[in-house]
Amino acid sequence: MNNAQKKIFVADDDGDILDVIEMILKTEGYTVNTTKNANDVFAHMEENLPDLILLDIWMSGIDGREICERLKQNNATQHIPILFISANSNIVEITNDYAADGYIPKPFEMAVLLKRVRDILRKKQDKLI
Amino acid sequence: MSIDKKYNELLTEVEELKSQLSEANEIINAIRRGEVDAFIIKNEDENEIYTLKSADKTFRIFIEKMSEGAITINKDGIILYCNSSFADLINSPLSKVIGCELERFIPVVYKNLVAKLLEKAWDKEECKAEIVLQGENNISIPVLLSISTLEIDEGLVLSILITDLSFQKESEEQLLRKNKELEDAQIITKSLNDGLERTIKERTEELIKEQKRAMEKKDEFITIASHELKTPVTSIKGYIQVLRFNFEKEGNAAAAQLLGKVDIQINKLTTLISDLLDVKKIETGKLHYREELFDYNELVKEIIEETGRVLTKHTVKYQLDETALVYGDRNKIGQVITNFIDNAGKYSPSNTDIIIETFKEGSKVKLAVSDSGIGIPKSQQPMIFDRFYRVSGTKENTYSGLGLGLYISFEIIKRHQGNIGVESEEGKGSTFYFELPISN
Repeated sequence: MNNAQKKIFVADDDGDILDVIEMILKTEGYTVNTTKNANDVFAHMEENLPDLILLDIWMSGIDGREICERLKQNNATQHIPILFISANSNIVEITNDYAADGYIPKPFEMAVLLKRVRDILRKKQDKLI
Repeated sequence: MSIDKKYNELLTEVEELKSQLSEANEIINAIRRGEVDAFIIKNEDENEIYTLKSADKTFRIFIEKMSEGAITINKDGIILYCNSSFADLINSPLSKVIGCELERFIPVVYKNLVAKLLEKAWDKEECKAEIVLQGENNISIPVLLSISTLEIDEGLVLSILITDLSFQKESEEQLLRKNKELEDAQIITKSLNDGLERTIKERTEELIKEQKRAMEKKDEFITIASHELKTPVTSIKGYIQVLRFNFEKEGNAAAAQLLGKVDIQINKLTTLISDLLDVKKIETGKLHYREELFDYNELVKEIIEETGRVLTKHTVKYQLDETALVYGDRNKIGQVITNFIDNAGKYSPSNTDIIIETFKEGSKVKLAVSDSGIGIPKSQQPMIFDRFYRVSGTKENTYSGLGLGLYISFEIIKRHQGNIGVESEEGKGSTFYFELPISN
């Protein structure tokens, strides 16, 4: 599976950060879908299941923690890895508490973001094999 | 009127006088013999008593004057004698008491008791009892009765001494009342104390809650402020990195290098924001530690690699001892190493070496970062780990920073039961080090 076949969904209520993440992920050729509206996450899951979700924590509408919890409880989505990407200073604790698959603190290094994404997608693929 | 008649009248009168004289003589003789104590002269409405002075006058006065009541009664319970104290006690004139039945002054509830007492007393047994007498106008008088038999010329009588217990009873009652008042006062005091204690407790709890709320609000503000500061930094840093990536791809090395410098400044800004948040968290005891077992050398190498990318003007050299397992917050210990290396770069001239070494010493692992920088004067070394402390000298320029990095490092190492310190000589350089316990 090449990177273009790998779909990454990003939810963040800051449009600029969303643009930046999309640009960075596209440098490695991933297919990126984004939303600024936290409420749209579930509707999007029904149309098209991604291979990875990058989730902001503090968003207007639904909080990233709640989204994570609901996705992990749903049979259709619980296998999708979730990375919290947030400036929240308790990101480590939140990741543990909500059983997310990892975290990327903001502000982030482009290289670090890409490495985390690569690693988690590889891990997911390894599991499938 | 005839002379005969007058004579006869006179004769009768003489006889009458003779008889009166004889009666008077008899009385005088009786008085002489001590057989008469007093006269009772019957008038129309009341009797008058005339007491005679005699040999037993002293005792009579004594009995009359004593504060206790004294009476004698005969077998029928009639009062034969009564002193004025008794008459006063029951608030009745003496003349009305003498000749009365004692029973008249005994309330119904005590009648049985008194009857039994008298019965015993007639058997020559001395008896005492506390009862209540009923005086004129139904006044109640608590008294002590002391009864004994008394042999007099007329035969056996009972003498009864009556001690007024009103004062004593009043005192007792007063004492009881005072005791009750004291008890009531104690109860009131206790309830006041309890109330006060409760109020203090409630107020203290309220204050603690208020303080907690204020602290939480402060914490919340700092958390939000830090988040809000980091959000624009994230997009700036992201755009810069994408631009840099694009310039590199196009082969525009000069532009890429400039953007690299911008990126380094953004990182400094990020560190400042994080440090401020960490200091607030240390102050409020909210700095969370995520403890795990980790490979020490792996962490050190990771940090050297990260910081090496930024320290382009210095040569970073390292010599690591055998690795060890450390239990603690890997990120925060990494933060301390980063801080040491950043400081070494900041306070030493370009083209000098920064040396990082680890030493496994017994149950501890030591990490030291040495530079050939400006050094720290001896006088300033004890304050170097204080909050907001910044090294200053006459020749040096002002160095950037808030003076928080070493303070945070000190707190992190202290929290891991480690030691932190510095060895430095002014003008020659500094070695910052810390030791951590090795986990088995």
